[in-house]
Amino acid sequence: MTIRARNLAALAMAAALTAPTAARAAAMVGQPAPDFTLVDSNGATHSLADLKGKMVVLEWVNFECPFVGKHYGSGNMQKLQKTYTGKGVVWLSINSSAAGKQGHFAPDKINALMKEKGAAPTAYLIDTDGAVGRAYGAKTTPHMFVVDPGGTIVYAGGIDDTPSTDQADVPKARNFVSAALDEALAGKPVTTASSTPYGCSVKY
Amino acid sequence: MRFNRQRAMTEAGRAAALVVACVGVALAASRHVQASLVAEHESIRAGEPFWVGLRLKMEPGWHTYWKNPGDAGLPTRVKWTLPEGFEAGPIDWPYPRPFSQGPVTSYGYEDEVLLPVPITPPPSLTAGNPVTLAARVDWLECQEACVPGRADLSLTLPVTAGAPRAAAEAGGFADARRRLPAAPSGWTFQAAEKGGAIELVMRPPRTGGTLREAYFFPEEPAVLDHAAPQTLAGTAAAYRLALTPAPNAGRSPARLKGVLVVHDPEGKARALRVDAPVANKGAGGVTPQAMEER
Repeated sequence: MTIRARNLAALAMAAALTAPTAARAAAMVGQPAPDFTLVDSNGATHSLADLKGKMVVLEWVNFECPFVGKHYGSGNMQKLQKTYTGKGVVWLSINSSAAGKQGHFAPDKINALMKEKGAAPTAYLIDTDGAVGRAYGAKTTPHMFVVDPGGTIVYAGGIDDTPSTDQADVPKARNFVSAALDEALAGKPVTTASSTPYGCSVKY
Repeated sequence: MRFNRQRAMTEAGRAAALVVACVGVALAASRHVQASLVAEHESIRAGEPFWVGLRLKMEPGWHTYWKNPGDAGLPTRVKWTLPEGFEAGPIDWPYPRPFSQGPVTSYGYEDEVLLPVPITPPPSLTAGNPVTLAARVDWLECQEACVPGRADLSLTLPVTAGAPRAAAEAGGFADARRRLPAAPSGWTFQAAEKGGAIELVMRPPRTGGTLREAYFFPEEPAVLDHAAPQTLAGTAAAYRLALTPAPNAGRSPARLKGVLVVHDPEGKARALRVDAPVANKGAGGVTPQAMEER
């Protein structure tokens, strides 16, 4: 990945913008999304910079995490992916598990799992060295970000307001991502722009 | 679960008056944590609050979570089914320890923890008829990977007219209480937000106030960056703990609430409750504010 330098630059910029917390990187709502370039499970390269003009969702994923299992087992995540990619949104699932850690798979296995689950993101990106996850401060799976067409982060946080692994909670939960996307797609400010992400730790 | 049944039998044998029925229906997936309910006393009596404990025994390397799980995880939850007129209070959480995996820091327990819960029986309770307290317990157990755990547990206790005697498990409650945060008698805490950082100023009581280290556990998520180092500076007159706000926390919190764990020069730990207003250094100065004892 040639992107190291670019990530570092993005990171330094984020740090400069977010002031004294210095080296601790995190994508901040209202600020430019750190740029990245990653390869997907089919070998294609995706750069955030190339997606200017489009609404982008970043979904940190680990198919072996029970919180992710809740949202795929219930069909919730696939439904969101289909609904919003149908509206022109680019949906990028990102896995930041290090090699040998839980949730890290070879591309063939990823594609098989995606097929089995009916997952429908635009792409599943592989971030084995965790550089993009760290630049965004991705803590959990799932951890969700929405980037507007201007490249600004308009939502960062959990998928919904109900931290649990129980699929039965999905219909009762308030989904922050769909709310943020609906508002952002309508050109409105996002009411709930951040929340506490919940899930398994990202396996850096 | 074979394990739980065995434990239930041992305990029933140990205290004949105490029937501990640990009906472990933990999910098949939950193989790393053994949950049981224990009582501090051998019996209960009408109108007199008593303590029960949820004991979680974790396999080496596995942990469960505090009320604020930190960056990842879930707090352990108990849903009670109690006889009419009984009321259960919230878990009185012993202070946790941090677990770090790269940039992700969570708060929880390893090895074994007893989570005490106060229960108040009705004044109308009559001696002679035992009562059964049932609890559905949900937790998340993690090593590096995480597995949800669940158990339906119950505890049957005799009702007596006389004063209840300490049960075999009383020592476990005493151990848990040593890890409960105390009212910070004689301490003064004040917090201030300046330039994107939060500083907790701690003034110990005049006697024995030397600190070797300190760590603050915020009781709510999305207040502090759990993974950021907490730096202790200052002297016994006033120590300062440098804290980092959570990214995307929005405005700085109005109050800093949580548990401060301080270590004296001999390494002895004490946990103190903190509930301090957060002054914004940009907008008006900091007024020292003595802690109110709860």
